Amino acid sequence: MTTVMKTTRDVRGVGLSIPRFDAPEKVTGRTQYVGDVQLAGLLQARLLRSPHAHARLLRIDATRARALPGVRAVLTAADIPELKPMARTRAHAMLAIDRVVFGGQPVAAVAADDLAIADEALDLIDVEYELLPVAVDPQKSMLPDAPRVADRGTEADTSEAQAHSGIAATGTQTTTQAPNIAQQGRLTRGDVAAAMAQADLIVENTFRVPMVHQGYIEPHAAIADFDPNGRITIWSSTQGSFACRAEVAEVLGIPEARIKVIPMECGGGFGGKIRALVEPLAVLLSKATGRPVSLIMTRREELLAGMPAPGVIIRLKTGVKQDGTPLALEAETIVEAGAYSGALLTMSAVFLSSVYLWPAFDVRGFEVLTHKPSIAAYRAPMAPQTHFAIDSQMDHIARKLGLDPAEYKLRFLQQGGDLMANDQPWAVNGARECMQALTAHPFWRDREAWRASGGRDGHGLRGTGLAIGGWVPNIQPTSATVRLDSDGTLAVLTGSVDIAGTNMGLALIAAEAYGVDIENVRIITGDTDTAPLTGLSAGSKTTYTVGAAVAEAGEDARQQTLKIAARELEVSVEDLDLRGDSVVVRGVPDRSIKLSVIGKRSNTFGSKVPPVLGSSSLAFDVQAPAFAAQLARLEIDPDTGEVTLHGFVVAQDVGKAINPLGIEGQMQGGAVQSLGFALSEGLLYDEQGRLTNPSLLDYRKLTAADLPDIETIMIEVPAPAGPFGARGVGEPPIVAAPAAIANAIEDATGVRLVELPLTPEKIALGLVARDRANGHA
Amino acid sequence: MPKMLLSCTINDEPAELLVQPYHTLLEAVRDVARLTGTKEGCGTGDCGACTVHVDGRPVASCLVLAMQVRGRDVRTVEGLAANGTMHPVQAAFVAHGVPQCGFCIPGVLMSASALLADNAAPSEAEIRLGIAGNLCRCTGYTKMVAAIQDAAGRMSQ
Repeated sequence: MTTVMKTTRDVRGVGLSIPRFDAPEKVTGRTQYVGDVQLAGLLQARLLRSPHAHARLLRIDATRARALPGVRAVLTAADIPELKPMARTRAHAMLAIDRVVFGGQPVAAVAADDLAIADEALDLIDVEYELLPVAVDPQKSMLPDAPRVADRGTEADTSEAQAHSGIAATGTQTTTQAPNIAQQGRLTRGDVAAAMAQADLIVENTFRVPMVHQGYIEPHAAIADFDPNGRITIWSSTQGSFACRAEVAEVLGIPEARIKVIPMECGGGFGGKIRALVEPLAVLLSKATGRPVSLIMTRREELLAGMPAPGVIIRLKTGVKQDGTPLALEAETIVEAGAYSGALLTMSAVFLSSVYLWPAFDVRGFEVLTHKPSIAAYRAPMAPQTHFAIDSQMDHIARKLGLDPAEYKLRFLQQGGDLMANDQPWAVNGARECMQALTAHPFWRDREAWRASGGRDGHGLRGTGLAIGGWVPNIQPTSATVRLDSDGTLAVLTGSVDIAGTNMGLALIAAEAYGVDIENVRIITGDTDTAPLTGLSAGSKTTYTVGAAVAEAGEDARQQTLKIAARELEVSVEDLDLRGDSVVVRGVPDRSIKLSVIGKRSNTFGSKVPPVLGSSSLAFDVQAPAFAAQLARLEIDPDTGEVTLHGFVVAQDVGKAINPLGIEGQMQGGAVQSLGFALSEGLLYDEQGRLTNPSLLDYRKLTAADLPDIETIMIEVPAPAGPFGARGVGEPPIVAAPAAIANAIEDATGVRLVELPLTPEKIALGLVARDRANGHA
Repeated sequence: MPKMLLSCTINDEPAELLVQPYHTLLEAVRDVARLTGTKEGCGTGDCGACTVHVDGRPVASCLVLAMQVRGRDVRTVEGLAANGTMHPVQAAFVAHGVPQCGFCIPGVLMSASALLADNAAPSEAEIRLGIAGNLCRCTGYTKMVAAIQDAAGRMSQ
């Protein structure tokens, strides 16, 4: 796939702003999520979870729970021969065997007639723990004598990381020196010490980002039905039905062909529903009871023992010339992965050293295990944390040198052709255009007046911040079919789970490629038994990859249709055109055949017209980086440190806007998740590794009342291999807000804050420290 | 525990439901009345996904015991449309492209429709406050606010 598809058929297709097909169902409550599935004999499951972050399991006795009327099965590790020690991933460690390694890890599973009985049964399971020393702080966990998290011999797992980003993992390795360092890597170029010695200004900062939860409103949910033939059906809230099938098969040692995964509407995933979390246990409980079993996590369980984004510490030391020219960058990144390995080190290293071009760099990365829930992806995994560090650093340097921060960043921002740290060239991208769109915005142009208006007439301190962040979306082989139905409409079939409005985009692509209006296209997400093999909905690649397959399948169906029409009309294909609902002979308007006639003839006894079934199977080798710049105008209460956002703008390079309405929603939602990173979110642990904020009252997500309208600006720098030039759009908008907000806070106050979230407390303390340093009371 | 008979009105129709004394209104609506449009996002009243109307007021149905609505008037998202026509706020949510994953949407619609019944011409700040009890992770709220403003305009015509 290296050609840009440029068909500009005169149809209602690509580029049309259009509400999703499924919107009417969603506003009337008819959409079916896992929890809405009703099956005869359905049992409800609950998990008993360890209250301790690290403990030996001395004894589990489920006798009393099993005796409770209405309890149909209680499983502990002893009941599950599939469980093996030295679990590589969370899915493999569905129940603790002899040691729990994070708070909230399941130790027993119950299936009962209803949830009240299941909950009561949990109380009747007796567990004896022996508390073990915990590794909670990632830096202490790196020490050779830290309490060991993984079992000896457990290997690093990078499969999750690879699901997300196209940047090849190079230079990562495992080590045995410190027990909790699961991976380490290093990327270097040039002589950093010599370059640093030439610097006029050296700036050092240590940036910290806590673990955060993806925050989908529908918790993890699955129903499993193990039938008497040993065939398994799973209704799942998942980002990838085929990935779910593969993981369940691997964990349970069952052939994939015996498993059917039905992807239900996914009530939010954002990376947190790539991995199977509840599916394997639901299958085992169904097997044990002979009945379908529903396993739905509670919100408390999600926060205690979901699969959050990692905690990240990034130490940066940079040397620049007096005019700001970058000379050398030294970085150390510590990624806290929780109890099982899975972090994306290389992506972070590449962004640190290559979004802005550093001639000499030495970037080291460590993935560290702690006694906390293991991590998973969260929308552009590692990018918000990494860009928070590097963009803040650049902004800070510019302000120290008295330079305009946006002009400064633009001077040294990568462009297509520049070499990334892994010596791969940056592909053409619109990072620069995104920045320029925002420096032309009134919020940026009027920033001096905005700042000057602060601190007087009862106003708080006012500031403006701009930052850019990006992502290199992934690629994955995929396939699709486009069928012409008897009524002349198209049915597009993929296995793609629609977590981001992608089905609407796929339908628009099919309309454009085939040459009919969108109203004549239906899009179907099949299950793993019926759909053509389709990749995960993750890594901002659905439109880019599945879209390309749908475009090719649509073109294939068009050619088949024209061939049939040529035979029926006794002309050559070259003389035909597809207009409206018919194939017409060019220049002879009364010679035509309706698509519905072709469709009907292909579905008629004795007919010689074969059914039209376009198909496409593709693998990819070209990625398309995608950037989004963000601009914040804010005001700070100097007494309380409270931030009020007065405006927020996102400018994003989308390549080609297939469905602008859907993309706006992605940009606005991504920006608000990014603002959550910036302002309010973080999982907080005490010294024993216990989560202290396991509710949505204490884990603070932003509400409508906390936010202004999010303004969107779409930039279209076509991706050479994307369908119609489209780029991935899901992940880039979550990246830049933490730096944009920190930059705006420095603009308003002169205080540079380096630890997320930027809470009122941290801002107020920063102001106090500033005033002390300035000699004020 | 013996079940209890809950008599109330749900979506303008008389309903008699056999519920446990410990059942929440959310469980009664979803599991007993089988109206699954109302969602559970947290079970602790913090996310708003389970919002329904009781006597026209929006409540978090996960925090109300089922038997507390005896003799009262309950409305869920399934009862927001009247005579087969969507409530203006539902229609505006479709037209503005609000729903993404959709899980929070029924709750937001119940909060928004209660707000508009109370205040025919809310300001942007009033709308934002009116749905501040509903967490949405997909949309960033911008299109929701615009859609509610649009619906208010249409309803006052």
